[in-house]
Amino acid sequence: MAGPFGKTALPEVKKEIAAVGRRNFERRVPGSKSRARRSIVSSREERHVTTNTSMTSVIQKTSAIQTWSRRFFMAAVGSLAISAAAGMPAFAQDAEWQKVIDAGKKEGSLVLYTALVGQPSTKQIAEAFTKQYGISVEVLEARASEIRERVRVEQAAGRFAADVMFTSEGQTMLYDKEDKSVDPLPVTPNSQKIGDKFKLKVPMASVMTIPYGIMINTGLVKPADEPKSWKDIADPKWQGKILSDDPRAIGAGYLWFFSTYDKIGEDYVKKVASQKLVFTRDQRESQRRTARGEYSIYMPVIMTDFSDLKGLPVKFIIPEEGVPYVLYGNVMLKKAPHPNAAKLYLDFMQGPVVQKIYAGLGYGPVLGGMTEGLPADVKAISEAKLYGTTDTTRQNEMLAKSKDIFK
Amino acid sequence: MTIIHNRPLDDIAETAPTLGGNAFTRAFSGGSLWRLIGMLVLILLLGFLTIYPLAMLLYGSLHSTPPGMAGEFNLNGYRSIMTTQNLIVLANTVGISLAKTIPSLTIAVFLAWIVARTDTPFRGALEVLITLPFFIPPILTAMAWGMLANPQVGVINMVWRWATGATDPLVNIYSYGGVIWHMCQYSIPFLFLFMVDAFRAMDPSLEESSRMCGASRWTTFRKITLLLMLPVLTSSFMLSFIKGIETFESALFFGLPAGIKVITTDIYESINHRATPDYQYATSLSFAIMGLMFLLVIWQWWMLRGKSFQTVTGKGFRPSVMELGPWRWVTFAICLMFFFITVVLPIGQLMLGSFFRFFGFYTYDMLTLEHYKAVFANSEFWRAVRNTMMLGLLGATATMALGAIVAYISVRTRWRGRSLIDGMAWLPWMMPGMVLGVGFLWAFAMLPGPIPIYGTVWALLLAYIALGTPVSVRVMTGAYHQLSYDLEECSRVHGASWFQTMWRIMVALAWPAFAVGWVLTFFGIMRELSASILLYSVGSETLAVVLMKLWANGNAEQVSVIGLMMMLLVIVFRWVQLSFIKARISKL
Repeated sequence: MAGPFGKTALPEVKKEIAAVGRRNFERRVPGSKSRARRSIVSSREERHVTTNTSMTSVIQKTSAIQTWSRRFFMAAVGSLAISAAAGMPAFAQDAEWQKVIDAGKKEGSLVLYTALVGQPSTKQIAEAFTKQYGISVEVLEARASEIRERVRVEQAAGRFAADVMFTSEGQTMLYDKEDKSVDPLPVTPNSQKIGDKFKLKVPMASVMTIPYGIMINTGLVKPADEPKSWKDIADPKWQGKILSDDPRAIGAGYLWFFSTYDKIGEDYVKKVASQKLVFTRDQRESQRRTARGEYSIYMPVIMTDFSDLKGLPVKFIIPEEGVPYVLYGNVMLKKAPHPNAAKLYLDFMQGPVVQKIYAGLGYGPVLGGMTEGLPADVKAISEAKLYGTTDTTRQNEMLAKSKDIFK
Repeated sequence: MTIIHNRPLDDIAETAPTLGGNAFTRAFSGGSLWRLIGMLVLILLLGFLTIYPLAMLLYGSLHSTPPGMAGEFNLNGYRSIMTTQNLIVLANTVGISLAKTIPSLTIAVFLAWIVARTDTPFRGALEVLITLPFFIPPILTAMAWGMLANPQVGVINMVWRWATGATDPLVNIYSYGGVIWHMCQYSIPFLFLFMVDAFRAMDPSLEESSRMCGASRWTTFRKITLLLMLPVLTSSFMLSFIKGIETFESALFFGLPAGIKVITTDIYESINHRATPDYQYATSLSFAIMGLMFLLVIWQWWMLRGKSFQTVTGKGFRPSVMELGPWRWVTFAICLMFFFITVVLPIGQLMLGSFFRFFGFYTYDMLTLEHYKAVFANSEFWRAVRNTMMLGLLGATATMALGAIVAYISVRTRWRGRSLIDGMAWLPWMMPGMVLGVGFLWAFAMLPGPIPIYGTVWALLLAYIALGTPVSVRVMTGAYHQLSYDLEECSRVHGASWFQTMWRIMVALAWPAFAVGWVLTFFGIMRELSASILLYSVGSETLAVVLMKLWANGNAEQVSVIGLMMMLLVIVFRWVQLSFIKARISKL
């Protein structure tokens, strides 16, 4: 996680991610640290005990620990023996991952809930996944709040239908803290290769970032006048000419408000508020409205939409400061009916195939070296400097602030 | 004069002979035990469809967390809605709804009268054409009007500036006027459809007597036609007014930029745009509104009680039309103008746009058929069409059947509990769709495990039936109010069984209303999104879900293609239905 709060949290983040199945491993089998970090957890109870500290029943916990430690001991001894015999340190992990692959293939299908609605890439990725593992993917799409409530109610009613949920970092925090509907992350081969700042505290396997920037109508804005940075938006010459996503409600506008408020300051935001912004909540229709000449500027715009609007008199601008972003990723839902297929999917989404698909669309990949060979315009957006994102824990405070500033 | 006081209805109930027949026949005709059981089944069914989801919502409003989570019961939800701010928003909402309902009702009455009771040329075609906007997803007409009437580059304003040299725009759709106008776009056709058959089924002899007694056309229209229409008119007013309180697309699309707030945008925000969805607030607010709305229903009961509005009697009756002479061209011109403004302008925009790469950029090199190709090649779209057709056909038929039974019992019998089922059938209409959708989700998911409703198409079907029941009951109530008791008695005297009477008189004569209700329900199902998105499962996507996905991804042109296809379907349906009615009426 980036942003002002990300840096201090980083060491902890790493710990969380590696924690799965490791804590006790290290204690019992000294010297196997590097392998253990990559080891894959295959049993459900083990994950619960090692990481889910919120589990309340002590009795349940101790009995689970007993079975767990017995199993674990056997596994540890076994893997030690195998790696010692073969002399290949990676073998144990490969073998264990192979078990997940086999089990996943046996499960045969996967149910994915996604909050990223209407993206053709979802289907493309699902097809690539099916091609690789022979596991079919069933996708259910709905907007973030709707899909969250569905998952929550389904689990409360004991209907465990979904395996994986594709959602944002902020939503994951709610899933984790409020609904307790997600499982801790498994450690998979690809999960360790992603960039450090995308290894999160919350149990979400990061996949990509959605970057937000500024869009202008090239018929109304002369090249010399083009805003180059977020600060330029506050220039009085734009008064009444800016269409803005509503910053008073969770969404793109609020993301812009949050990151610029933190990084540039309240005075700047207040100055923008005096620009007589016109608010909207429909991202795509607002882009069209700006293209048709209703407004000179639309902000913040989803940068990756630029390819859909080719041929229209608009220009997408990456602000100098960088792009506010939303980090998307997968979470594993509790009591997933296809847990192994889910692990494979989480891993697959962080692998080069999917990362290249997203980079090719302009999203920010979490794996390095994915933007090689892309057309210059896509590459620039995909590699754009990440400016800041929202922090769910401060949401009520910041929404109130936004409502106060943008009356 | 025409509002005669009913002869005691008890007569009818008592004189109803207790003929034999099978158990089901007896359930509705004779033995009070069987009737009791019949009523009980009906009450249970309606209870499951309406009370149960609402009860879940009530729980949500009284509990600190939604169902399934630990929490405590408290009144915080209701306390938090008691703010001055909300009172202002409520007043605003009621104002907007009244401002759209009254003109809509006036225009719809006028149009219905022209189409059903005058000899205006081409009224058959007009009847189908002026209702078209109703069947298009609101988001599309909103987009079209946004393009036509935005103050900067809207087509209407460009033409105005070009024609007059003015610099100020003529119209601004992003305003109170715009919100109301966009709502009218839906309520006028809806009300028209709702009322037109009531106008048609009116015995003209009363109007003729009035004219013979020297009353002018206008007086006749006012004192006879309108008064006879009282049940239909009050029902229409309430349906439209309540819907106006709950409509939210118009306010979100055109109201937000102008800072206009209504209750539903507030509810929408509390669910979708807060740090954590505040279901307690959303449900509390909805129940508060619902309580206010129910006062209206009681007002209607009070107004219609003890009066008779029967116009379809045993006497020979030929639905005749008024000959307007040269004036018929004036009425024709009025209809045509209405058609041009509310249909040609927005839908023409959509149709034109569907052939270009982008809406609003109409140059030769942008001309394309790619949107049509994309839609036709979209396998998910076809799957959704199949699902929606199946759900629509089943759902509309079941809803209308249920509505007809409820309406029959509440209007034409004195059975105990008839007001109860009539009231229950109103309930779903009074809950904003997005909140009710959550109610269905909670209700169906929380059913005991072995009852396989959640996650199947049955969940969608049941939700659609519940959502459609208010309209179906209103439509059929209006129709049954008009049928005279003579007809039923006459049939029975001539030896027809209860069922034969039901079929030959109550069904055959109420058929046009049934058909209109069916079309309204069918397309209601086709458009329903709030509940669908919470209840659909993988593989059972509906058309509305697919449209939402396409819209969310910025494929406005493809959404229009589908919208236009839906419209085509409406034309076919309505044409079949109207030719059928015509055939029947000529046989009468």
